[in-house]
Amino acid sequence: MYTLPLSLVHGSPPAAQSPAAAADAELVAQLQQGSEAAFRTLVERYQNRIYRTVLALLRSPEEAEDVAQEVFVEVYQTVGRFRGEAALSTWLYRLATSRALKNRRRARAQKRFAYFTSLLGFDNQVLYEPVDQVHPQARLEEQQQLTRLLALIDRLPDQQQVAFTLRHEQELSYEEIAAVLKTTVPAVESLLFRARKTLRHHLTPALRHA
Amino acid sequence: MPNSLPRPNPDEEWESLLRHWQARQPTQPRPFFYSRVRARLTGEGPTAHQALPTWLRWPGYAAMLGIILLLSGDGAVLPSTNPTNEVKPYLGDQPAARALR
Repeated sequence: MYTLPLSLVHGSPPAAQSPAAAADAELVAQLQQGSEAAFRTLVERYQNRIYRTVLALLRSPEEAEDVAQEVFVEVYQTVGRFRGEAALSTWLYRLATSRALKNRRRARAQKRFAYFTSLLGFDNQVLYEPVDQVHPQARLEEQQQLTRLLALIDRLPDQQQVAFTLRHEQELSYEEIAAVLKTTVPAVESLLFRARKTLRHHLTPALRHA
Repeated sequence: MPNSLPRPNPDEEWESLLRHWQARQPTQPRPFFYSRVRARLTGEGPTAHQALPTWLRWPGYAAMLGIILLLSGDGAVLPSTNPTNEVKPYLGDQPAARALR
């Protein structure tokens, strides 16, 4: 879990704020005054981005919905401590990615536990994660490649996976990703380079032989 | 003739694959997402305020343990009455000891 206050990693001085940043700042101010309408606006403005990010990391619509809800609940409960030193979107992406990774670690621990208890003869079938859903109308080759890509993304180290998802799924800039991960732009470049290299290395034979 | 068409190079295939990955993601959660967030917030509110901090519970646990030990009945913490046949380990200034010298 990331803690507040958020550190200033990127961004321009307040005088040169973009209209979106200014609107977010105004939204935060209203939220801190307890405005219900502001909270609704926040949720509606960010729900798709947060949901898609979490879904890309968890690959389960039910879990993604659950984590996305948790993110907004946490925002509501802790917005009083938000000092605006980072962008609102940065804070939301941070909460979303950290919660998603935490959720996934818990799910994996449950899966390991279910495996061991199944070895001992207990019936824990319900704890197994469902098989990833695939689009029934997708072409077979594309489907195989996508399935393989998803499996490979899933096996990337956490930081690489978050950086890759934010870059290619959310199309965030390197600076924005660096802010979310509390790191530098060169570090993000390195994470993305390693992630792409790993994925392409493992995918290329499949692509060539498909 | 599909077989005569040249395959795209690896970079193009890679970009194409990423586009497919982006396209297959659902764009939004189920309808009425805000209502569910609101309901969850309402449900979580009271429990968060009622829960005591963990450190505040420890003195209570310690006091409870002390009471249980006190009432457990083994008598270890209470002084017993002096029995008449108790062996005295030291007889320094008593008459019997002086007679033996």
